[in-house]
Amino acid sequence: MIQNKLGLHARPATVLVKTAIKYRSDFRIKKDDMEINGKSIMGVMMLAAEFGSEIELITDGIDEEFLMRELIEHFENKFDEE
Amino acid sequence: MNIKLKDLLQMKAKELSLTPITKPVTLNNEISSKYISRPGLALAGFFERFAYKRVQILGETEISYMQSMKDEDLYDRLKEVLIYDIPCFIVTKGLSVPKQMVFLAEEMKIAILKSALTTDKFFHLLRNYLEDHFAPTRTVHGTMIDVYGVGLLLTGKSGIGKSECALDLVERGHRIITDDAVKIKLAGENLIALPTNDFGHFMEIRGVGLIDVEKMFGIQAVGLEKQIDVQLELMPWQDNMDYERIGLSDNYVDILGVKKPIIYLPISPGKNVSVIIEVVAMNYILKTFGYDAAKVYTDKLQSELLKKTALRKKQISKN
Repeated sequence: MIQNKLGLHARPATVLVKTAIKYRSDFRIKKDDMEINGKSIMGVMMLAAEFGSEIELITDGIDEEFLMRELIEHFENKFDEE
Repeated sequence: MNIKLKDLLQMKAKELSLTPITKPVTLNNEISSKYISRPGLALAGFFERFAYKRVQILGETEISYMQSMKDEDLYDRLKEVLIYDIPCFIVTKGLSVPKQMVFLAEEMKIAILKSALTTDKFFHLLRNYLEDHFAPTRTVHGTMIDVYGVGLLLTGKSGIGKSECALDLVERGHRIITDDAVKIKLAGENLIALPTNDFGHFMEIRGVGLIDVEKMFGIQAVGLEKQIDVQLELMPWQDNMDYERIGLSDNYVDILGVKKPIIYLPISPGKNVSVIIEVVAMNYILKTFGYDAAKVYTDKLQSELLKKTALRKKQISKN
């Protein structure tokens, strides 16, 4: 669930993408009936995931656990926005 | 950097309509400051803060003041003035200088020149020339091109393909100012890029050698100077480099004390860099026209998010 009040706007989207491209694993995000590549900024912004909405993070590859851990950290920290 | 009066005469005698009055030996004096002084107060006997190192301009006011003085008084005063290490006096409007002054100036090895221009016009032209001559400059390794009227300074390591990139842009109808070495001159708040020599628009293409861009592509492919609007640093693609993704925040670089936007452009084989460079130029033009695509898009996203959040709240309170 998206915890930060402003939702996945440009800045958090950039944080997610920049985190994901550090890893070799694939990263996808699902929301409603959409599934996008989490390493593409336009994709992440297109989701327009607002405060309170639910998304699913999928990591797939040799370093998937580490990527997932870092991604979850960002969400839990509300992207250092609040 | 200093300008010998001889050289000034050689270059600018016609434009400034300058002729020397004192002996040629005095023309070895040098101008060392871009500022110009009107020595009226010094002629009146006030020497505090007399900016004697500057070019001294004698207009109608100064000349008529000297004419109003008694010969002996004028002689004594001139002796006091000319003791200073003044590079030169320039009399405007073609006025004539008191004979004693020429005599004393020659004695003190101070030059006197004459211009037929009005004081105002002469002052303006000389000031512009000196400003330009004494402007801070710097030479950088890079290529300067004019893309749709936007001045782009391409930088990056040797061999990254700046020249090849410039060549591609020339073929697309853009202008090259200089390749390999770019002389940057500070002009007020602007940075002007120029070639470091006047040999013409030659460039080295690896594997081919030197080519003459003007001969090959014609006069429309070259330019003499151009203001720098954006610096573009070409760099080999690195996986973990933090490239700009949205373009909301600009990076800046300091050149001669002026802040200019800089874009770090990752390049990899098979990438069409020229198109990207054209896009950079067009995006710059759009921004100067007040349209910032990154801002427009993220604003739209922001309002969409707000709308959805409000809708969600409404639904929750309904249930």
